[in-house]
Amino acid sequence: MRKWILPITFVCIISGLLLALQFKIQASQTPTPTEQRNEILVGIINNLENEISTYQQRIAEIKAEIETIEDVTASYQDDIKYLQQKVQKAKLQAGLTNVKGRGIRITLDDNKSGLLLAPNDDPNRYIIHYENILNIITELKLGRAEAISVNGQRIVSTSEIRCVGNVILVNTTRLAPPFEIKAIGDPDRLEEILLAGEYDLLKSTGFPVSYEKFTEETPLEIPAYTGTFQFNYTTLN
Amino acid sequence: MWMPLLGLLFGAILGSAISFEIPIAYAKYMSIAVLASLDSVFGGIKSVLEDRFDGFILLTGFFSNTLLAAMLAYLGDKLGVDLYMAAVFAFGVRLFQNLATIRHHLISRTLRNLGPDKR
Repeated sequence: MRKWILPITFVCIISGLLLALQFKIQASQTPTPTEQRNEILVGIINNLENEISTYQQRIAEIKAEIETIEDVTASYQDDIKYLQQKVQKAKLQAGLTNVKGRGIRITLDDNKSGLLLAPNDDPNRYIIHYENILNIITELKLGRAEAISVNGQRIVSTSEIRCVGNVILVNTTRLAPPFEIKAIGDPDRLEEILLAGEYDLLKSTGFPVSYEKFTEETPLEIPAYTGTFQFNYTTLN
Repeated sequence: MWMPLLGLLFGAILGSAISFEIPIAYAKYMSIAVLASLDSVFGGIKSVLEDRFDGFILLTGFFSNTLLAAMLAYLGDKLGVDLYMAAVFAFGVRLFQNLATIRHHLISRTLRNLGPDKR
C-alpha cells in the first residue's frame, strides 16, 4: 500500500504545476467577459480623452486666432477713432447734429397794431415776408453764424425759404409768425451786423422785433436737420 | 492517503507562485503535458485499485506519453495538421475510461464493505 504514494504524489505535483502554468497562460491569453468589457470601456475613455485633447487643441487655436484679431483691431483702433472723428465733424458741418453754444435769438412778428392803426393801408406792408427772413439769415451767415434755425428748422445747404400763400416754407415745413431765428456764433458780431441790416429796417418800420444774446453759461440750443440729402443727378467728379 | 492531493495543491501553488511564464507559442505543448500528467495520475490510481501498481511503469509512462505527445504536436505544426488534437483526444478518452474504472472499483469495493452489515 505504501509504495504507490510517492510516485503518484510526484506525478500529482507535476500535474498541479502544469495546470497552474497553463491556467496562467490561458488567463493572460483570453480575457474574461468582464475584462473584455473593461477593455471596451477603457477604449471608450481613451477615445473620449483623445477627443478632449483635440478639442482643447482647437480651443487653443481659436484663442490664438482671437488674439491675432484683437491685435489687428488694436492697430486699427486709431484709424477707427480718426474716421469717427472725421464723420462727427462732417455731420456737424452738414447740420446733422444737435448743437449748442453762444449766439443770438431774434424774434420777428407781424405788425398787427400798425395794421389796426391804418386799416386802409396795404396789409402787405405790415406782415413779415420770406425775404425778410432770408435777408436776416444771409446777414447772420455773413456774421459767421455757425448754425442757424428758423422755428426749430435747421438751415442746411438744401434748405429753402419760400413764401407759400400766407405761410413760409422752410425744409418743406410750413411756418407761421411769430418767427424765431436762432444763430450760434459770436453774439457781439451777430448783433452788430443785425443792427446794420434788415433787422434795423424792420424795427424802424414799427415791426415788433427783438433779439436776445446768449452766453456760454446759458447756451443756445439748435436741433439737427431731420430731413435727408438726396443726390439723384450729382455724382462725384 | 492524502499525500497525492496535498502534492497537487503544492504543485498548483508552486506554479502560480513562480513568476516564470511559458511563451504563448508553447501553449499547445503545455496543454498536452497537462493532459498527459492528469492521465498518469488517474492511470496510477486505477492501477492501485486494481493492485497492479508499479511506480517505475507509472513514471516512464508519464514521461514517454508526454514526450510522444510533444513530438506529435511538433510534427503537426511542421506539417500544418493539428496532430496534437489526436493526443488531446487520446488522453481525454483515456481519462474518462480511467475515471470510469476508478469509480467502478470504488463503488464495488464500498458495496463489498457495506454488504455484510446490510445483510
